[in-house]
Amino acid sequence: MTEKVRSKIDIHLPQSATAGDVWAGFRQVERIHIELTQRYKYSLGKVSRFFIELEQGRFFATRCAACRKVYAPPRPLCPDCLAVTDWVELTGEGVVKTYSVLHFSPGSNDDVRALETPYILAYVLLDGADTLFPHLLKTSPDLAHTGMRVAVAYSDQPAHHPIHLMYFVPIADSSKTK
Amino acid sequence: MPSPPVVAAVGATPIASEHRGGNLRDLMTEAVLDCLADAGMDDLSAVEHGLTSYESDHFNLQMTLGAILHDTIGMIPKPNVRIEGGGATGALALRTAWAHIQSGLCDSILVYGCEKNGRGLSSRTANQLFALSADVDWEMMAGGAYTGFYAAMMRAHMEAYGTREEQFAHVAARNRRNARFNPGAQKPMDISIADVMNSRPVAEPYKLLDCSLLSDGAACLLLSTEAWARAHCPAFHKRAPVYFTATGCGSDTMRLGDRYPELSNFRAKRAAAAAAYAMADISDPLAQIDVAELYDSYSGVEIQAVEDLGFVERGQGGASVAGGIFDLDGALPVNTSGGLLGRGAPVGATGILQAIEVARQLWAAVDPRRQVANARRGLTDTHAGIASISVVNIFERRD
Repeated sequence: MTEKVRSKIDIHLPQSATAGDVWAGFRQVERIHIELTQRYKYSLGKVSRFFIELEQGRFFATRCAACRKVYAPPRPLCPDCLAVTDWVELTGEGVVKTYSVLHFSPGSNDDVRALETPYILAYVLLDGADTLFPHLLKTSPDLAHTGMRVAVAYSDQPAHHPIHLMYFVPIADSSKTK
Repeated sequence: MPSPPVVAAVGATPIASEHRGGNLRDLMTEAVLDCLADAGMDDLSAVEHGLTSYESDHFNLQMTLGAILHDTIGMIPKPNVRIEGGGATGALALRTAWAHIQSGLCDSILVYGCEKNGRGLSSRTANQLFALSADVDWEMMAGGAYTGFYAAMMRAHMEAYGTREEQFAHVAARNRRNARFNPGAQKPMDISIADVMNSRPVAEPYKLLDCSLLSDGAACLLLSTEAWARAHCPAFHKRAPVYFTATGCGSDTMRLGDRYPELSNFRAKRAAAAAAYAMADISDPLAQIDVAELYDSYSGVEIQAVEDLGFVERGQGGASVAGGIFDLDGALPVNTSGGLLGRGAPVGATGILQAIEVARQLWAAVDPRRQVANARRGLTDTHAGIASISVVNIFERRD
């Protein structure tokens, strides 16, 4: 059947007319498809250096010049002091403070769509940092645990978003440090 | 401070996974007409101000929806403002309306909210759009999703306080059972804790039945001074006056990791509750609040909420929930409507729907099977993100 409206899905009709229905003349409801796609020129902003260093296999955070708090992920401005921060390099090793095993992918971009489920979203306190860094922990869900020692691994696969130039992996024998 | 505003009238559509009877304008129209009928009014000519409550331009495929809905329901040329605050949108809209009345800017304001989060988009696209409400560079693009953030918080709660999955499964089962007595609810279910425990994992420790619903729906609340309601709402005198007596709001970092070392609970919710309790002169919330609608976006969030709202001590949420004190026959029934888990959650309408449930409880106007006897004071708890913004509103019956 050829539809005059190419995007038409269906026309819904009520199962039965109700006596006294004030909307009786408005009960046919048609549905169509509308499709929009957007492509953004998206700035990574003042924290761009984090991603640029990541390409070179280096992990950077920022430190408040006033209170010395170290932010990973980096913040260009310390929200406690409203002081501009400085870049500091970290070793990339740290400890899992909490995590979840996701059995679906939010499909945020092509990097995330490519993930095999289930996967682990871990919150890692990097050595020398004061905040937790959320990212993928690539290990068996059965092995993941709070207190696990992990390290940043640098991906050699091209990524759509530069955050996927890294992920976390367990450090050998990390279970002994639980 | 002048006498607090009253809930002059309320209205809503049924909540559904997909309304086939019309689009968002139609749903909003039906909720407003329902509110007019509740007020006993023929039209909106006496109402001075409009306030539109919705979250997402993406889901609704319409920017400036505030102006369009204001036009649709015949409020032109009166003033209007649109409020957005993530999941807290509806409660933040009511808080803003409260300030409009208390400041003397107007004596009456129609707060109307709606959302189409249901099946207008594939679940994949819906997940993608909801992930946009996380931090795009550091959470969304890394593979993070709200179910995962909430799940990581709940794991921290379990490890800190020994909270068990069966305890939050109690919330998932109870709220869906409560929804059986709410004819406007999206997903009433007669399910057990075992049913929840046996549902498939989504983001461990959360399983499918621990997760709230994506919904279509609209809701409307007419807020005014008591004098305005008595002058303009013919039906107002037929029931006890319900006052919107207090409102509190707090905030927290967008990202969970920035809250370290606190990972298990909601600082913003404690701040919102403290402000609202101070305004309402509440010192013992468990004893002084009779009914509450809590933001159960995930079942465990209700356990965290009863702690952060001060109903029970930190770490006692799981045991107190499982012990039944928040059930329909408990000391403080919560989510009598079914909550986000059972009634549904069209985001811009959610906080308004919570307030409507509390007002109807205080009017003793709900199905007797979910009616809380002699309810005099009720609370709504609503938040955005993982409580990046938290709003607590308090309503009291005074007669």
